[in-house]
Amino acid sequence: MEPTRNGHATLVDLLDRVLDKGIIIYADLIVSLAGIPLIGVNLRAAIAGMETMLKYGMMTEWDDRVRTWERQRIEARKLLIKPDPQIEEQTVGILPRTGK
Amino acid sequence: MQNRETIETIINNMVMAPEEGRYVYCIADSAQSVHLGKIGIEENEVYTVPYKNICALVHKCNAEPYKSDDAEVVKSWVIAHDRVIQTAWEKWGNVLPINFDTIIKEVSASSAEQNLVAWLAGEYEGLRNVLQRVKNKVEFGVQISWDPKGVAQQIMRTNKEIQKMEGEIAGKSKGLAYMHRQKIEGLLKQQMETSADAYFRDFFGRIKQLVDEIKIGKTKKPENGLQMILNVSCLVERDKSQDLGQALDSINNIDNLSVRFIGPWPPYSFVSRG
Repeated sequence: MEPTRNGHATLVDLLDRVLDKGIIIYADLIVSLAGIPLIGVNLRAAIAGMETMLKYGMMTEWDDRVRTWERQRIEARKLLIKPDPQIEEQTVGILPRTGK
Repeated sequence: MQNRETIETIINNMVMAPEEGRYVYCIADSAQSVHLGKIGIEENEVYTVPYKNICALVHKCNAEPYKSDDAEVVKSWVIAHDRVIQTAWEKWGNVLPINFDTIIKEVSASSAEQNLVAWLAGEYEGLRNVLQRVKNKVEFGVQISWDPKGVAQQIMRTNKEIQKMEGEIAGKSKGLAYMHRQKIEGLLKQQMETSADAYFRDFFGRIKQLVDEIKIGKTKKPENGLQMILNVSCLVERDKSQDLGQALDSINNIDNLSVRFIGPWPPYSFVSRG
């Protein structure tokens, strides 16, 4: 199977990445988005059509369970490998977006 | 009279002049100071701001975020954002995408560009580490979906408990038969969740073995009657995606399952922590 990146369907996947991923700079010198509706949220609502989501309550629940499982797995791994405090220091400023 | 107007205009311009900003697309593994042409958002000229052996790709703008209620407009910005990153990726091979709509502004005495260089200097070690980690690697998306109707039918056909309960419906009164059917439905739902769980673990394990890093994403809304049961981003060494492709073929051949294999992209999902 060969990977593809053409077509409308992959555009949606690209939007996910451009809007949600990438390095986030936290600093005073960044133009603040506070108080401004998040552009990505609006866009995704327009593309996805939220109402269809509600029909599939079962899968939402299942999706949550998968995420919990993955979180637990990561936690379990953390217990095995102590994080290096120096590395933690170095990556300050390249933090993931939280609370999503 | 004319003089006064001129002075007013000058004062107004001073007060109203928007702050200067630099829209930042990505960090690239290059020391070059070059202009890449008008490939940016709204045809802005994109150029590099180097620091040591890395550089940031930027365009000049006002210190105001890009925002619009028009999804088409935003889409064109997002495509332009990606276009710049892809261009840098093809040119220098190794880039760190920056989140959409990141604009560095001037602060009191220091210009936007000075602030950008100061940020690059402060984060230099961290950025170099991430560049090293994603070097020669590309990102793929893998989405596995199933046909819930087909899966349900298969379970109805093969699950002994459900078959037994089906058999018991005959001879029951209307009301009892209804309740019995509800029970079967509940059992079916449970079986499907168990099955989705098992598939997820199986496929996740298979894919994980063949990639350098993997991240779980949220499953998407159903499309064309298909429900997504796995959505992951993978970081794979460039030119080493054949094994992954083969593994996905074997999953794609399973009844009621379909696989989407998308990319390659710059390492969007693997440049920030978490």
